[in-house]
Amino acid sequence: MPLETPARIASALAERGFNADRTAITLLADATDPEAAILRAVETVPSGTTKITTDHVERVLDSSQTATESDGRPRPGDPPSSGSTGATESDPSVSTASGENSTGQGASTARPGATPTSPSTQSESSVEITGDITGDSTGSGEYADFLSVFRDRYERLSKQLRGRVTHRPTDALDAMPGGSDGALVGMVAEIDSTRGGHWRIELEDTNGTYPILVLKDRDIASAVEELLTDEVIAVEGTISDDGEIMFADAIHFPDVPRTFSPSTADREVSAALVSDLHVGSQEFAAKAWERFADWLHTDEADHVEYLLIGGDAVEGIGVYPDQDEELSIVDVYDQYERFAELLKRVPGDIEVVLIPGNHDAVRLAEPQPAFRDELLDIFDATDPRIVGNPARVTVEGVSILMYHGVSLDEIIAELPDERANYDEPQKAMAQLLRKRHLAPQFGGHTRIAPEERDYMVIDEVPDVFHTGHVHKLGYGSYHGVLTINSACWQHQTSFQESVNIDPEVGYAPIVRLDRLDATDVGEYLTIRTFSD
Amino acid sequence: MDEAYFERLESELDDARAVAERARERGADPKPEVEIPTARDMADRVESILGIEGVAERVRDLEDDYSREEAALELVGDFVDGTVGSFDSRTAKIEGAVRTAVALLTEGVVAAPIEGIDRVEIQTNDDGTEFVSVAYAGPIRSAGGTAQALSVLVADYARTLLDIDRYKPRDDEVQRYVEEVGLYDDETGLQYSPKDAESEFIAEHLPIMLTGEATGDEEVSGYRDLERVDTNASRGGMCLVFAEGIALKAPKIQRYTRELDEVDWPWLQDLIDGSFHDGSDDGEESDGESNADDGDVDTGPPRPEPSKKYLRDLIAGRPVFGHPSSPGGFRLRYGRARNHGFATAAVHPATMVLVEDFLAAGTQIKTERPGKAAGVVPVDTIEGPTVRLANGSVRRIDDADRAREVRNGVEAILDLGEYLVNYGEFVENNHPLAPAGYTVEWWREEFAAGGGDPDAVADDPSVDLADPAPETAIEWAESTGTPLHPQYTYCYHDLGVDRLERLARAIEAGDIDEEGRLVLDRDAAEILEVLLIEHDQHDDRVTVDTWRPFVRTLGFDDALTRDWTVAELPDAARTYDDGENAIRAVEAVAPFPVRERAPTRIGARMGRPEKSEERELSPAVHTLFPIGEAGGNQRNVTDAAGADRPEGQGRVSLELARRVCGSCGTETTRARCPDCGDRTTVDYRCPDCERSIEPDEAGRATCDRCEMEAEPTQLTTLSVHDRYHEALDRVGERETAFDILKGVKGLSSATKTPEPLEKGILRAKHDVSAFKDGTIRYDMTDLPVTAVRPSELDVDVQQVRALGYETDIHGDPLRHDDQLIELRTQDIVLSDGAADHLLQTAAFVDDLLEQYYEMDPYYEFSERADLVGELVFGMAPHTSAAVVGRVIGFTSAAVGYAHPYFHAAKRRNCFHPETTVTICEGGETVHRSISRVVESRLDDPRTDDFGAKVTDLDGDLSVPSLADDGTPTTRPVTAVAKHPAPDHLVTVETAAGRSLTVTPDHAMVRVADGDFDRVAAHELRAGDRVPLAVGPDVAVADSVSAAEDRPVPDGGSVPTTRVTETSIVASDVEATYSLTVADTHRMVANGLHVGQCDGDEDCVMLLMDGLLNFSRQFLPDQRGGRMDAPLVMSSRIDPTEIDDEAHNVDVMDRYPLEFYEATREMADPADVEDIMTIAEDRLGTDRAADFEFTHDTRDIAAGPDLSAYKTLGSMEDKMDAQLELGRRLRAVEESDVAERIIESHFLPDLHGNLRAFSRQDVRCLDCGRKYRRVPLTGVCRECGGDVNLTVHEGSVSKYIDTSIRVAEEYGAREYTKQRLRVLEWSIESVFENDHNKQSGIADFM
Repeated sequence: MPLETPARIASALAERGFNADRTAITLLADATDPEAAILRAVETVPSGTTKITTDHVERVLDSSQTATESDGRPRPGDPPSSGSTGATESDPSVSTASGENSTGQGASTARPGATPTSPSTQSESSVEITGDITGDSTGSGEYADFLSVFRDRYERLSKQLRGRVTHRPTDALDAMPGGSDGALVGMVAEIDSTRGGHWRIELEDTNGTYPILVLKDRDIASAVEELLTDEVIAVEGTISDDGEIMFADAIHFPDVPRTFSPSTADREVSAALVSDLHVGSQEFAAKAWERFADWLHTDEADHVEYLLIGGDAVEGIGVYPDQDEELSIVDVYDQYERFAELLKRVPGDIEVVLIPGNHDAVRLAEPQPAFRDELLDIFDATDPRIVGNPARVTVEGVSILMYHGVSLDEIIAELPDERANYDEPQKAMAQLLRKRHLAPQFGGHTRIAPEERDYMVIDEVPDVFHTGHVHKLGYGSYHGVLTINSACWQHQTSFQESVNIDPEVGYAPIVRLDRLDATDVGEYLTIRTFSD
Repeated sequence: MDEAYFERLESELDDARAVAERARERGADPKPEVEIPTARDMADRVESILGIEGVAERVRDLEDDYSREEAALELVGDFVDGTVGSFDSRTAKIEGAVRTAVALLTEGVVAAPIEGIDRVEIQTNDDGTEFVSVAYAGPIRSAGGTAQALSVLVADYARTLLDIDRYKPRDDEVQRYVEEVGLYDDETGLQYSPKDAESEFIAEHLPIMLTGEATGDEEVSGYRDLERVDTNASRGGMCLVFAEGIALKAPKIQRYTRELDEVDWPWLQDLIDGSFHDGSDDGEESDGESNADDGDVDTGPPRPEPSKKYLRDLIAGRPVFGHPSSPGGFRLRYGRARNHGFATAAVHPATMVLVEDFLAAGTQIKTERPGKAAGVVPVDTIEGPTVRLANGSVRRIDDADRAREVRNGVEAILDLGEYLVNYGEFVENNHPLAPAGYTVEWWREEFAAGGGDPDAVADDPSVDLADPAPETAIEWAESTGTPLHPQYTYCYHDLGVDRLERLARAIEAGDIDEEGRLVLDRDAAEILEVLLIEHDQHDDRVTVDTWRPFVRTLGFDDALTRDWTVAELPDAARTYDDGENAIRAVEAVAPFPVRERAPTRIGARMGRPEKSEERELSPAVHTLFPIGEAGGNQRNVTDAAGADRPEGQGRVSLELARRVCGSCGTETTRARCPDCGDRTTVDYRCPDCERSIEPDEAGRATCDRCEMEAEPTQLTTLSVHDRYHEALDRVGERETAFDILKGVKGLSSATKTPEPLEKGILRAKHDVSAFKDGTIRYDMTDLPVTAVRPSELDVDVQQVRALGYETDIHGDPLRHDDQLIELRTQDIVLSDGAADHLLQTAAFVDDLLEQYYEMDPYYEFSERADLVGELVFGMAPHTSAAVVGRVIGFTSAAVGYAHPYFHAAKRRNCFHPETTVTICEGGETVHRSISRVVESRLDDPRTDDFGAKVTDLDGDLSVPSLADDGTPTTRPVTAVAKHPAPDHLVTVETAAGRSLTVTPDHAMVRVADGDFDRVAAHELRAGDRVPLAVGPDVAVADSVSAAEDRPVPDGGSVPTTRVTETSIVASDVEATYSLTVADTHRMVANGLHVGQCDGDEDCVMLLMDGLLNFSRQFLPDQRGGRMDAPLVMSSRIDPTEIDDEAHNVDVMDRYPLEFYEATREMADPADVEDIMTIAEDRLGTDRAADFEFTHDTRDIAAGPDLSAYKTLGSMEDKMDAQLELGRRLRAVEESDVAERIIESHFLPDLHGNLRAFSRQDVRCLDCGRKYRRVPLTGVCRECGGDVNLTVHEGSVSKYIDTSIRVAEEYGAREYTKQRLRVLEWSIESVFENDHNKQSGIADFM
């Protein structure tokens, strides 16, 4: 097979266990004999290195008399000049020189003023991780841990609400005379319907509980349908004549302020948000992923500098009974090996961030720390940044909340269809933002590992909220926060078939981090599809 | 049949009945007569249950010539023609036929035909043709799989007769079946869960649409809102018919489709073969069962396809005896031993010993084929195991005593010995015949066919036909051309051609030593072991004592020279079975024909252990006399009689019968007037206007004025003191006659008439305990036997002769104790325990007659031999009909041996499936739905015709319980069971917000004055207090809504709550569940301490005890209350009216040559039925009771008395023994055993507890209040007490080390090890603080 395209160069290198910057690959592709150039590059690379840099390739090509001068073709991977923002999508100039990989839609390989940049500036990415449990799991499964995690939840979320109502502690409410107005910020302890069809909510603070009655004919009764136990809300109302219960007039969720406006990157840069590869499953969509990896080498993907993976990188083992019968790779270490190989085909100058999901070989209870050393060793230093689930990833000044999304199942099961369903996962995500908590309900589907802090609280509003898990594509904007569920890379499994779930396979949402504040989603979000 | 025998039984029965009738007239029993009537015949029952006139008559017609299945199919024609039932519409005709079929197959004793079939409809296919749909309801469960499946076949047959097209399912309907059956299995559980591909295949091919009403709460998530499917929920009845009927019973249905020209279900064969995957091409490969049909293409030997099904859900502590079809496993031998019947398999007693005593008579094993499970019987006329001893010698052990001697020196069990299965077993399971092992029976037929005279040889005292001298065997083979005698035929088929050549070279290089032994190089030992040739090992060589037939077979002469080489062998011989099987090569070089010695190996593992123990209520009681709260936790009548009570000393207030004396008008609770001595009658009074109401014929008393149900009971103050002393006086006993006399707290019967206390006094004196109906019972595992020796039954020939046995099985006069006699159908053998118990019962009965009824004693036994000839009632689990049996002798095996015809049907009652029960797993308590708890442990349960499924447990599960004094404790669960639900259940609601739905007579615990009493659920009343489960290790799902009724300690050591309401609700479920709890028989359900359900087993009762003491009046007056009570009795067994499986027992004394040859063709059992005789063939002839057999055995109680499973201590001990045995057995891969234990036992536990931990409740240590989540206050919101977790690290991580050890030690798969590793990481991750990890602790382990 001829090796002239960057994608093929990348996979040739990946087969040899290397990955490389895009510029390096371009250089290799442009060599008169790319095959020979690769061989030389690989042979001469310093031992212990797994990433082929542009410098190295240049040296290899220079040292070789066979290397020809670069034809002056602009090199992809250049940071765009500031003036080009907003114009790229419609940039009419299409290069014909490397037409082979032009896949349509305004692929701009020739950009005015683009010059090769040194890879060192390329890899100087700005990724900052916060809210990651990894290495800080201090819980030891004691009662005190359970207590502190819920207290922390209450304290941090109640702060969000204190400004909106005048909170009276439950014991103070107890002492208040009938008929007076009151307000309370509390964690939902119980929700029951009364015989008359009204709602009785037991709200809890650190002093005790207080019952709230929401009459069924009030407008706010519909808010009760959205309530989950263990979320924190504020209620205003009137205390009953006997002083025993409060009739609710208003229910407040912590929510994202309507005034929220996302931060943006200050240069043209994009992130690819994918999730749920399930490598090792017989249904892993290898072809689609290959196409995606290849695409990342095209000029069209020029500005994609970040690849965020929302969990379930591998199919894992023992996730469900007789899973081994549906695995193409039965050994979990081999699954990660294979996954690491796949990552090598991704241009080396793309920063990869990975969180675990419920199929990964970490604890199921959330928050989930990153992989143990036994697994991390599989990945080379140049490979992804593996962090916990959830994690806050700040790139180029844009804050992206990454969460695998196990709680979405519960949200969808608990809330009415129109508020959360599998076909529109963004609605369920919006609910989590509204509650400012990633997995509010305790005791049901979602498992928690008790820690000192509640890592599932959404303290700061993120600019982008990214989940996976439900294998459905969905995106939307909730009060200015871009919500994306990025489908999956696994074809329908026999289990999914049996329950008639049709997964959406091979989608890569590409987010323009510098355009997040645009009014039209189309301006900052492109959904790339790589499925058959 | 033997008319004299029955007449004798009946006349004895009549005599006894006459005595009992006189006694009952004199006593103060609820009724003045014996309350067990005789049963009517089956045809009547069917007609009356269906209400279709003319069915009974037609059934009786058909019964003569047809089996019940065939009769059901015949009736289809009658319904279609209108000759039976006057139905006009086509649907009504089909419906009538379907219901009748189910009724016939269930002998007209269950409600399935009425309640289980909802309706039949004719609908339209997409192509415009019509099809039939049958809607099933939950109660179809009680019909059992065969009847369920046959109902579909009947509908199909009716449809073809009515010229209606088949059902053509839409694709989404097919997928719906797949999803729904899976959903139902998850939700409720199926005995057999078809794989998706299997369900899809069935759904595509069923010519009848199966549907039915929704039974589950869960809805399918995929294939919803289908046009032709009314519901999105699972349709339980349909799922049962689909999975447990069609999928599970395919082989049985096939038998009947073959007999019908009109009905053709060719797809059943694919279903049976499992060759339905992805269409047609694939089918060929997996069509292994019939590769003998390949005709001339001689690719390999005929072998049934190995099947792993029986290994599913392996239980820790119950060993595997052989992996599927593995060499070294049980070798199939055909024949029927005299202690062999349906669902039994014979193994050599030496085998039972050498598998570390895990097998005893009656131990159930799960088997690869022909059936799923079999009860083990000892037979010593088959071959025992072959073992390698520590010194390297290989020996076949054909003697149990010898087995015990060598047991400790056994290094490996190279072969488990023979496994005797009768032909009828293959008929019953419609399993293709598997190739027969070469045995003396077969050889004998061939010898005769080849011109030999086996009878003459057999008569020659110098020759043992089964074990001839080597020279004789060679002589026979060479002179007659008969294959070499099996005694000298070895397992050449287990040897590859290459190893045969190695062996041949070793023989060439071998020598004959001065002792005449063959000396071979030591390397040959391994090959000799495969062949199962006995030999001895020395430093550098092995010696074979009996070598001549062996070397001759391999084409050597006595000088150890041969005239062949492998290269010269015909290709066909060298490449047979790819060179893996040397039998053709051996045939080519042998100077005489050689047969395959053991072509069929049968994999097996242990199922449940055998049983023999007395039946008691929980807790045990001596009398059904009520003493309220006055007797303390022990329900001690003596204490009650002396108790200081608010009502007065020794007085209790209770709801009791209101009876009135017709003569003097005295009102009393008793059945006999204390004043004038006349009989009293129940006085029904309207609760409103207080008029006395005469009950109508149906026993219903309604006040027409007030339209109220009149009540037969009232609150009465009863003087226990007076009754007690009066009773003592009456029977002339002192209090010192017994240790304790236990009564009941209250009565659960409709009229609440107490039992005469005198009976209790005498029971207490003889230490026997009363069951709920007043009878005394003993439970035993049933095993069949058709011929017995007086000597093995511990009786002498005179006793047996006295029973009417005059000749032995050969017709010779009966003179010696060791002559074999053919067992009469109602004669039974008691286990030692049962005999002792019946002796105690007899002593009680005699005292009762003398001291209470003032009559002569009836039994007057002085030793157990006196029991011989006495009549008993036999009841199989959950029957409502007793069968009269006669004791013929005793056995040390812990089983009840009886004729295969001596049996009946079953039933039970219990918890609603959604009940949350609290169980201890890994030292911590978790709450689970009882359906989950039971379903996950229903390891291929025994199932009866009523659908109850029971699995015995080994103590790996325990539950929080309550001792008699109210102390919280923890007890093991000994069995789990699932039962068909009755029509009504009782819901008990409490002030604490906890409620419970149970069967009406489910035992609840009522607390009053610190006593903890057992009452039936329907007896609980608002205001009663029941104990709340809040002990230190109890968790429940619901939280107590504290506002209303705070749990308060109520005298006992546990808090109680008030019952706010009990209501009878229509049952919305198909199954209820139960756990059997050791000792206390109490457990926690939905946060309430309750009693478990009463367990039921096969049992015997002494005749006179039943006649004297049984009363329906004692039985709970609720649906289900009459189960397991002898409401009727059968005095003689009509073999034509019993379940078919008893007819599929063969009754021949030898199998013909053609049979053995047919096994090599793997013929269907039906193909040889003409040359075989099963019991069914003799029905209606004068030989109906003539059960001949092919194999004798010295002692039907040989082998260990009890399975090691019952004698070993802890779960871990059992598991270690299981794994160690696996290591020793050549046929077992211990790594697979370990793997399966981890898979079915440890992993679910680890996963479950880890999950439970991360979503657990917390509980107040002080007041016991439970919170769904930790309260933000940190302390109890109620009492301010400390709150703590309910699931701790200990329970999560308990098994991780053991699992990892077992995985490593026994070589589990890497996949499994990795799963455990990931779990270990998860556990560490949750429970270890990253900041102060004890680094490297793993490195030191």
